[in-house]
Amino acid sequence: MTIYKQFLILVLSAICLPSLAAYKLPDYEKVTLDNGLTVYLMVQSEVPLIDMSLVVKTGAVNDNKLAGLARLTAENIAFGTQKLTKSQLDEKLDFIGASFYSNANLEFSKLAASFSSKDQLPVMKLMRDMLLTPRFEQAEFDKYKKRHLLNLEQNKESPKSVIYSYFNRLVFGESGYGSAILGNANTVKSITLDKVKSHYKKWYQPSNSAVIIVGDFEIQQMKAQINAMFGQWEDQKVLIKTPVRAVDKFTQAEVLLVNKEDAIETTFVIGGKGIARDNPDRVGINVINTILGARFTSWLNDALRVNAGLTYGARSRFYSYSKGGSFSIYTFTKTATTIEAVDLALSTYQKLFEKGIDEKTLASAKAYVKGQFPPKFETSTQLSALLGNMFGYGFNESYIDTFEQQVNSLDIEKTKQLINQYFPKENLQFVLIGKADAIRDKVAKYGTVEELNIKSIGYSAH
Amino acid sequence: MKPLFTQLILLLSLCSFPLTAATKVEDIQSFTLKNGMKVIVLEDHSIPNANMYLFWKVGSRNEVPGITGLSHFFEHMMFNGAKKFGPKMFDRTMEAAGGSNNAYTTENSTVYSNWFPASALETIFILEADRIEHLSISESMLNSERNVVSSERTTGLENSNFRAIAEEVKATAFRAHPYSWSVIGHASDIENWNLEDLKQYHKTYYAPNNAIVVIAGDVKVEQVKKLAQKYFASIPAQPAPKAVRTIEPKQKGERRVYVEKKSVTTPNIMMAYHIPETKHQDYYALDILANILSSGDSSRLKNTLINTQQTASRVFTYMPDSIDPNLFYIYAVAAKDVSALKLEKAIIYELNQIIKHGVSKDELQKVKNRKTVDFHRTMSTIDGKADTLGSYELYFGNYQTLFSASQKYQQVTIEDIQNVAKTYLIKSNRTVGVLASQKDSSNDDL
Repeated sequence: MTIYKQFLILVLSAICLPSLAAYKLPDYEKVTLDNGLTVYLMVQSEVPLIDMSLVVKTGAVNDNKLAGLARLTAENIAFGTQKLTKSQLDEKLDFIGASFYSNANLEFSKLAASFSSKDQLPVMKLMRDMLLTPRFEQAEFDKYKKRHLLNLEQNKESPKSVIYSYFNRLVFGESGYGSAILGNANTVKSITLDKVKSHYKKWYQPSNSAVIIVGDFEIQQMKAQINAMFGQWEDQKVLIKTPVRAVDKFTQAEVLLVNKEDAIETTFVIGGKGIARDNPDRVGINVINTILGARFTSWLNDALRVNAGLTYGARSRFYSYSKGGSFSIYTFTKTATTIEAVDLALSTYQKLFEKGIDEKTLASAKAYVKGQFPPKFETSTQLSALLGNMFGYGFNESYIDTFEQQVNSLDIEKTKQLINQYFPKENLQFVLIGKADAIRDKVAKYGTVEELNIKSIGYSAH
Repeated sequence: MKPLFTQLILLLSLCSFPLTAATKVEDIQSFTLKNGMKVIVLEDHSIPNANMYLFWKVGSRNEVPGITGLSHFFEHMMFNGAKKFGPKMFDRTMEAAGGSNNAYTTENSTVYSNWFPASALETIFILEADRIEHLSISESMLNSERNVVSSERTTGLENSNFRAIAEEVKATAFRAHPYSWSVIGHASDIENWNLEDLKQYHKTYYAPNNAIVVIAGDVKVEQVKKLAQKYFASIPAQPAPKAVRTIEPKQKGERRVYVEKKSVTTPNIMMAYHIPETKHQDYYALDILANILSSGDSSRLKNTLINTQQTASRVFTYMPDSIDPNLFYIYAVAAKDVSALKLEKAIIYELNQIIKHGVSKDELQKVKNRKTVDFHRTMSTIDGKADTLGSYELYFGNYQTLFSASQKYQQVTIEDIQNVAKTYLIKSNRTVGVLASQKDSSNDDL
């Protein structure tokens, strides 16, 4: 009992003294250059490193019929500049220990580097050259395309790697947030270097982009450098973005059964509609989701792993984008216990609506999310990614700065309202990847079943 | 690094803490309790959080047939109830105090990490002391956890080709030493070990004299000393665990193994060469060689196999830190329509080039530069600091080595690289594993 009292005191002190350590995003400067380019500068000097990101607001949602185009464009930008071949560029960045990547997600594309602060000028120049004067060499494009096509097949060796591609397609449809970021074998085959160049020309414009620098640098000198490097970049034409379709509530439960012939376990996702990044209730929703499936003692992990020994782990999550998102439960279990695990996941989820959350659990979750918050923004790389997400998804630091206050204000009444408003209760959507012969007949009870083979091209039966 | 806490900035500046100083060896304090438990402390006030890492000197190298995987299983059982905190209460108490935790097991160690707001430091000491001294292992928890570990094993094999082939390659490269089996253990051992096995294991290996504790973050050394004294010092020491006696006999010829997995797209190949333990003088040269081969797109294997020849779609090297002599791995996945044999020959050709002609000055300098930047990356979080300090203490014998590592890397010469390549990366010393979708039997077999 003594321990229990200590535990209560700890929880209470966490509630009573939030203002002492209330997290605020570190100070940063945000300016817009005359050409429309947004610049974020944040000084962080503990270690002599700098993170630089170039973010362009275009992603798979703008691919239309050519799924994979934004991703292939972002990757190919890094394959040399007009002055340097791919090999020469790789050599220069590797030699000074810089780490670099480029990719595109659903809504934005990004080139990012982490490097020693003493190499600030040469790396920034290389990044500028990649962005403004990419080489776009046919031979490198051909090699990359071949590797990428193989990569699409290899990803399907691992159910974990691809289950969310199937789920997004099921929940969001063929376009918008259902777009396949990596594309599929058919669409990628029809992407040419010319199409990549047109995509680049259309979207990579200063008024649609941001330069983000976080780390150990002198701010006035950095401003002057950015002006000199990016100030002359000019917009080409007015952009017309593809509107993202909002997701309606589902009218029926659907099950996508993906057959993997040599599967020794079933991997599954159950879910539906979620929330957008700028949803004012996002913090409260995340506290509730922490209780349901986002920490070790969460209901889902406790039921499926700790009590039943059905899985190594079970969780739930909200994926959020600028105009919408998904909610999902994810776990895996050996083939023979598939139905038992799905049923237990569903009955555990139903507790959210039927029993709701009690005071003690809510207090614990509030302390947990606050305690785990500061290390999420400890390094330049993390802070640079945060600023990139703010620009790319269009939300501001109020999410960060009011985090504690919002957590503290959450009470039981509010949790009931949020659960009913945001957690999908009916017509859930299912994706199961496993040995179809062993589970086909038993999954029909969850909804209308469609089946395809994991080796089939793309992520949908249609 | 430094997210700013509005209230804290003022306090920090008043106390004139060096806000921008990188960590130096003098910033670290260590002490050993009477029972032999070593505690290492690094004060870092950049965020209001701290961590506690416990490195136990027990891993799959301490197992024998029949209890393979037990070290890893123990990692799970440590969360399943003790005297003050019964089943589930370790995690519930920690999370309610704002903390989270995880653990990992390797061939050499079992490492527990707790991440928490600094205000919860004492709670963490209470929780850890309870499970170290009074772990309670019940039959029902044992059986439920057995299924969890079976699922962990299955999901690894289902989703990772590396796991599927590594198991076989290790078993072939080692015929005597316990590095022969995977850390997760054989399926039949997971199903059959018993309560007595576990009790004995806990008593032997979870003794304070077999642990290194590292605490980094927003704490005070004096406060940590006081709490360690209060909660850890009374845990009784145990006789030192038996030494691992078996020395792997020298390999005298190439060994090969093949694994069929239907869903594999193109062949995966794993080559493993016997090398000495981490404390050996060749460690730094071997580590640099591993980086010259596969760190960055401009590295030897990546540039040649993926970019130029297009024989591989992926390639990397892996050299685990190790108490006993272990393996230097090269892993590659073939490009479309490239056979395992062609890929294997291409890799061996590149290794032979280094054996015959050495590496260039620039290649060597590139890795040295990378090591310096990587050191800063590691030291940019309290988590990276704690994990790295503990690992150095365990594998190099003292954490101070971390701060002289950069100098040790700088001393490695072109000749050193060529010598280790000549000594270790040779045919008679290697095991080659191939994972592919074809059956390994046909009607024409001899």
